[in-house]
Formats: sequence, C-alpha cells, structure tokens
Amino acid sequence: MHWATATSGFDEVFDGGGQPRTHYAPLISILESFTREDVDRRERLQKLALMNQGITFTVYGEKEGLERIFPFDFVPRIIPASEWKTIQDGLIQRITTLNLFLLDVYHEQRCLKDGVIPPELVLSRKEYKRELLGVTPPRKVFTHVVGTDLIRSETGEYLVLEDNCRCPSGVSYVLENRALLNRVFPEFFASYPVRPVKEYPTLLLDSLLYVAPRPSQSPVVVVLSPGIHNSAYFEHSFLAREMGVPLVEGRDLLVEGNHVFMRRTHGKRQIDVIYRRIDDDFLDPLAFRRDSLLGVPGLVNVYREGNVALANAPGAGVADDKAVYAFMPELIRYYLGEEPLLGQVPTYVGFRKDDFKYMTEHLDELVVKTTGDAGGYGMLMGPFASKKERESYLAQMKKDPGNHIGQPLVHFSSHPTHVHGRYEPRRIDLRPFILYGDRLRVLPGGLTRVALRPGSFVVNSSQGGGSKDTWVLAPRDA
Amino acid sequence: MILSRVADALYWMGRYLERAENITRLLVVTEEMASEVVGLDEEVARAEWTELRTIFPGAEGGEPPRSLRALAQAALFELSIDPGHSHSIFFSLKKARDNARTVREALTIEVFVSLNETYRELEAYTRRQMADPPTFRSALAATQRGILSTAGAIEQTLARDPGWLFLQLGESMERVFRTAVVLRVKLPTLLAQEPKIDLPLFYTRWRGLLRGLSSLENYRKVHGARMEPADALHFLLFDPHTPRSLRYGTTAVKELLEQISGGNQLSLPARIMGKLAADLAYQGQDVLRDSQTLGFLDQILTELTRCHDSVSTTYFGT
Repeated sequence: MHWATATSGFDEVFDGGGQPRTHYAPLISILESFTREDVDRRERLQKLALMNQGITFTVYGEKEGLERIFPFDFVPRIIPASEWKTIQDGLIQRITTLNLFLLDVYHEQRCLKDGVIPPELVLSRKEYKRELLGVTPPRKVFTHVVGTDLIRSETGEYLVLEDNCRCPSGVSYVLENRALLNRVFPEFFASYPVRPVKEYPTLLLDSLLYVAPRPSQSPVVVVLSPGIHNSAYFEHSFLAREMGVPLVEGRDLLVEGNHVFMRRTHGKRQIDVIYRRIDDDFLDPLAFRRDSLLGVPGLVNVYREGNVALANAPGAGVADDKAVYAFMPELIRYYLGEEPLLGQVPTYVGFRKDDFKYMTEHLDELVVKTTGDAGGYGMLMGPFASKKERESYLAQMKKDPGNHIGQPLVHFSSHPTHVHGRYEPRRIDLRPFILYGDRLRVLPGGLTRVALRPGSFVVNSSQGGGSKDTWVLAPRDA
Repeated sequence: MILSRVADALYWMGRYLERAENITRLLVVTEEMASEVVGLDEEVARAEWTELRTIFPGAEGGEPPRSLRALAQAALFELSIDPGHSHSIFFSLKKARDNARTVREALTIEVFVSLNETYRELEAYTRRQMADPPTFRSALAATQRGILSTAGAIEQTLARDPGWLFLQLGESMERVFRTAVVLRVKLPTLLAQEPKIDLPLFYTRWRGLLRGLSSLENYRKVHGARMEPADALHFLLFDPHTPRSLRYGTTAVKELLEQISGGNQLSLPARIMGKLAADLAYQGQDVLRDSQTLGFLDQILTELTRCHDSVSTTYFGT
C-alpha cells in the first residue's frame, strides 16, 4: 500500500525515509490488512451509530435546529509515554502559573507593579472583571477545567498555541471517540497499551466537590447550560449524565437571601457548585450584560459572598487572552522560578508600538488574530489572504491595534486521515484537558482535531474540522 | 424531586409519544376500514375519515376535499408525515424527541436511542414520495413498533423516580384524554345510525371503534365474539382492566398524581382526578342512556383539561 506523507511540516506517522515511526508500525500493518470494502462498511456503521445516538452539534447561522455529526476519523493519533510526560509536566507548570497570575491580578497585582507585564495591557481587557477585584474564589482555584491547544513544530516539538480558561469544550468527544473506535475497529487496540479516558467525569466531579463552600454537608453540584440551541449542548448534557448531576438552565435557578437555588416540582434546593458553560458576560444580568436572558440575576453577588463556587471562576478569561499569552514564558519564570517546559509560538503584540509596526509591514507572513475571539473567528491567515483581504483587515487593525496579535505561520504536523476512500495527510492539533481540584490532573488523552481539507490549517469544528481518537500509551514497564 | 423544567419536558415527552402511537393506530384502523367498506357504502367511509380529522384537528382551514379519494389522501398525508400539522405522527414524534433532547440526562441511553431511531426512520420516509397503500401500511406499522419499543425501553430501563412519574403521567393523561375524545366524536353517529345501515356494517363500525382503542381483543375476552353496542360502550367506559377504558385511565392518572403529591395533603390535580375516578368507578349503567352519555363525556373532558392545567401550575410553574 502506498502512503502519502506530509509535504510540509512534521509527519506524525512517517519518518523522513517514509518508514512508519516505531510506535505507529503495528497500526500501519493493521490498516494495511483491511480491504477497502471492509473500511467503507465500518465507516457507514460508525456514521449510523453517531446519528442514532444523537451525538451531534448545532451549527450556528444555518437552519434552526440543524444537527450535524462531528466528523470522526478512525485513524487514531498515538502519543508515546515519554512525549506525554513532557506535555503533562509542561501543562501542569502552565496552569499553576495561570492560577497564580489570576490570583495576583485580582489582588496585589505584583506582576504589574514589577513590570513583568504592562498593567494597561491586563487591565484594559474586557475579560478582566474589575468588579471582582479582591474576590478570592473557594480554595483559590480559578481555572477548574482548562483545555490547552498544542501544535507540533516542523521539528516535532510540542508548542502551546493557546490556553482555554473559560469554558473549553470537546471533552465529550474524547470519551465518545474512544467508545466509537472501540466499537467499530476493536482490532486496533490489541497491540497497544492505551491509557483509558473514562475516568474524566469522576475526576471532574471530584474537582467540583473540592471547591464546595459547604464541604461538610453533601454539596449540590449542577451543570449550567445556555440550553438546547447552544452548539455544545450535547456535551453539557453528556457531562451532567456522566456525573449524575442535574443539568440546569438560567431559568431553573433563582437567588434568595444571597444563596442560589434551583426550582423543583416540590420546592427549591440550595446549590453549592455550578459548573457553568456560559460565558462571564451572560452569567448575571445584574453584574455584566444587562440584556442576558441566559443568566441568573444576583448570581455574581452570591459568588462574591462565597456562598457558591463557579467553575471556572468569573474573570478567569483574562488569563487566556492572546496578548497575555505572549507573556506566559516570563510569567512562568516570575511565579515559579522555572524555565517553561513547553515552547510556544513567537507572538507580536499589537499593544506594543514596535510590534504593531512589524505586523502591518509583514501582514503577508503572519497569522493575525483578535485577542478576545475564539473558534477561528476574527482571524487573518496572511500568507493565504488576497491583497484586498489584507488591506481591509489592516484598516480594521488600525482602529484598535491593542486588540490584535500576530504570529508567524507554523506549518504544524500532519497525520494520515481517511478521506474519500484513501489515506491522506491532514494537519492536526491537540487539546488536552487539565483539571484543578486538590491537585492538578491531566487527562491522558485529549481531543485531536483534524483539518479535513488538503493543506488546510483550520481545524475548528465550526469551520469544517473533524476529530480523531487520541491514544496516550502507558509506559512500557508500568 | 426534580427540576420543574425537567418534569415539564418529561410530561410532554410522555404525552407526545402516546399521541404519536394513538394517531398511528387510528390511522391504520381507519384506512383499513374505509377501504373495506367504500364499495358497500361510501358515506360510511367518508364519515370515518371526517371523524378522524375531527379527533386529530389541524389548523382551521378551508373546505374538506369533495371526493372521497381526495379526502382520504389528505387525511393520510396530514396525519402521518405533514410536518406542519399539529396532530401528525411526524409532528408528535418530533415534539417527543425535542423534549427528550432537552432532558437526556433524565433518561437512559436505551430510551433516547430507541426514540431517536424511530423518529429518524419516519423522517427518512417524509423525504420520499407517498407510497402505495401496502408500503404505507408497513411504514406505519414500523413506526408503531418503534414507539412501542421506546415504551418498552422506558419500562425496562428507567428508574422509578419522580421523573418517571411525570413521564407516565403525560402518557396516561394523553391516553385517557384521547379515549374520551374518540368516544365523544364517534358516538353520535354510532348511536344514531343504528336503524339506518345494514347490520354487518353496523357491527363493523363498532368493532372499528374497539380496534381503534386497541380494545377489541380485550372486549372479546370478556364478552365473546358477539358484538353488543351497549356492552362495547360499557366496556370502553367502565372496564377496570383494559388500559384504554376511561375508568382504567382516570384511575392510572389519579394514582400517579397521588404518588407525585406524596404526604397526607393531596394536591389540587390529585383531588380533581380522585373525584373523576370515583365517578367512573361507582357510576353505573344509568349514564349509558343516550341522552346522558355525551354530556357525561363532555364533563370528563372538562375535568381532564382542568387537571392538566392544574398540573402545569402546581409543578411546572407555567
């Protein structure tokens, strides 16, 4: 069988000589043992299973109620134990720093006074919630759940692309992808010590219980969702079901006497911990956006009083700001006195005059992003944009320089992916999930997103990306 | 104890699921009967279709089609796969599934998957052309099996918690309500036409009524094959064992409301149903005199509606 390899960037599976890397060799020979008819039949079964189980997401801007399945590629991504150790240690170092940073900027602001990061840069972010200055979340945890996006450089080094400290989504697909792959291609698993991911909901619930303000009682935990029309609704429902806790919407909750309750058929019940999957701005119309119909009036005040824990804590979004990202290596050194274990992409910050000048002059080489957006929105891929697109983007940049950052385009790694009956290289990234409870834990696995168009750099599900099962291998002697 | 919103969604999921099954069954029975008698007496066939459209009303619209063929076609389409008709099987299944999707965490995988598969099969059917009668009948039969297997998954896998009570409540409420509506719509012709049509046809229609309420076999177990209108009517109103009699239905709703109510103090809906169930258990033959039956059915429908409204205000906060 002929295998196409990556034309640019690191190839996850094949080395420079076109031979499979050691940890991929067994998988490649299993794949070669299947006929095309076998594969087609199993792919049909796989799609049917997803539709029947209703594992779908909603696409914004399309016909209301349109459900799509998140495309799944059955060729798994394999991460050897030694590589995973680097990733895990690096992520723990990073999330520890992010929490220290958050505690600092909402209290003493030492890092601003010491000039590690420009004060205006932090304080001008709309994710920085001035109202919460001086508020300490239960157990000093701000980011209970983080999903950090990693890519691999041309030499195969893992680089952090961004941290998601607000409501990172995708973990339900990590679990469902594993179950689905095991159902459709059980043969794959026999030759590999794949670490299980099923523990995630239990670990998540433990992390949430850990921050309950009334730990002596039996605390009540809920998942707060914007509702069925949200694109990640399936995940909200999935996590509630897996943890065995109620899934609530804003209209199910009410605040009385500085406590938060849920409305039930027979009276109300007090809530201790809210795993909220609603952005800060929509959480409480009295505190943030007044036009929010999704939130709970008075909720932020209850939080301020310490009578409810919110995961993640409001205001945590400032830590994953794309401009703050540029300062992460410095912040790690500042708070921990350590060198960063994971590299990241060099970043020009529009906030700095020199950087902005460089960005405007090298727009055709850079990927430019607005600092507050996510999901691939508000971004310019300089090298692929037309002159006209660059000019209109430049005009927009000049209106608000501080809101933009620029990065050189990284030709990140590719992985064989089954498209139109053939295996072809497609670019992938990796989103591991990190939980912060009594200590930091990294789920051994993660969401590998894959760009389904040839050569494309865009892996977001909202822009036509798919996903793969991600295998972290157990150490050999374990 | 569960969230009011979740109880509300489960209640409606139960109602719509039961409604979808009722529409399917009555559509199959009506279609079979109408095509059987059309050569014998076209007016009877027409009356069957007209009554079915009254039992499952859509939006108010113009005149019904003139020709019998067009009337039958319209009713078949509207009540099966018309997404815009508020009493089509498709609409009801979609509503049941929409409600289930908002409360998946309160259901089991088995229940959701069974409902989702049934819905998706029918949805695929809506994209095809209307088929010939045998194909159409087999599609309806498949839908009915799907709904029954969902009911089976509910029975086999759901915990008997408050959520289950509200799901059952919706189902039982819809079932008893529909029996009352079917009787209210069909009895005037059945009771009045006795002398006018020939006897075999007359019995066919009474048998159709029993089949439409899936009670024909149960009736035979009690009364034998001989069809006596007075017995059939008494059976559908007062039989304590057949799940679609009014007595059985009101008692089922009453018992669910008592369990939901809990404690010593009965809720308003539980009291409304307690009184209605007692009426049906203790009132005997006397309401079966023609002039009183329809009035009695009207009274039952009023009380059922009152009960539904008070369930909403008491438990769903709506």
